[in-house]
Amino acid sequence: MATRAAACLIGVVFGVVLSWTGLSSPEVLREGLLFESAYLYLFFASAVMTAFIGLRVLKRRAPRAVLTGEPVAWTTARPERRHVVGAALFGVGWGIADVCPGPIATQLGQGVPWALATTAGFVLGVVLYLGRERAPAPALRPALEEG
Amino acid sequence: MENPQLAWYIGGPVLGLCVVAMRWLLNERLGATGAWSDVIERLQARSVGFGTRGWMLIGLVAGAFGYLLVAGGPDFHGYGWLTDTFDSTVLIAAILVVAGVLIGYGAKLAGGCTSGNGLSGTAILSPASLAATATFFATGIAVSFVIKALI
Repeated sequence: MATRAAACLIGVVFGVVLSWTGLSSPEVLREGLLFESAYLYLFFASAVMTAFIGLRVLKRRAPRAVLTGEPVAWTTARPERRHVVGAALFGVGWGIADVCPGPIATQLGQGVPWALATTAGFVLGVVLYLGRERAPAPALRPALEEG
Repeated sequence: MENPQLAWYIGGPVLGLCVVAMRWLLNERLGATGAWSDVIERLQARSVGFGTRGWMLIGLVAGAFGYLLVAGGPDFHGYGWLTDTFDSTVLIAAILVVAGVLIGYGAKLAGGCTSGNGLSGTAILSPASLAATATFFATGIAVSFVIKALI
């Protein structure tokens, strides 16, 4: 219960920030991607820097997560093809619709009707990926199917 | 913008602290795609109730709704270059659906989106996240300039 309330509260702060900074707006995001405004990059860089410093302080000062008692730990990953291919597909959609998954949610909260179309596509994309992930690899399929 | 835009040097660090808070309280990575995926997977499994990540998504929507109630808005009318360029609602919706599929499938394949890879992943200097972030910024910028040249 406490873990869900905490996650929800962090989500609320995230949602207010995306709304108040205007980053829910496709126009603000597009200005950033077209280098007409530095806001997107200053916002993004200051968020990364804060998280970078904060996580390092956290690892030294708080060995265990307050609500779950789990050791505070994370793993890094080596880049694979899927990271680049996936990010390229994502970047194309991002450049066309001028939203990413956070702003899709905040646009819904702000009652933007166009967000319904983006959400429908986004959910379909996630479902397609989950379906592909769950499907057994071709070589492992029983011979029966080829039958 | 009708409402004053929150200064980047406040908004950015507050979002960075959300990443830290997620680790400090729950030892979880902050990411919007993971939050959406949690809700979608549980709905597919006909499961009652959401996990912590699903609750973060509910908070995200609620935070934006709360901002709407307090500040009014949204601060934009129409939908950027799409409504400036096209008149057909059906065409614009179709473009947004296709872009949405690319965003959803691409983010899952890449293991995160702007928040999961771009923010949480780069903050721990994960090489996969750095590669993904460089890629989506490059393609997002390139696509925006191509669209600008075409319209």
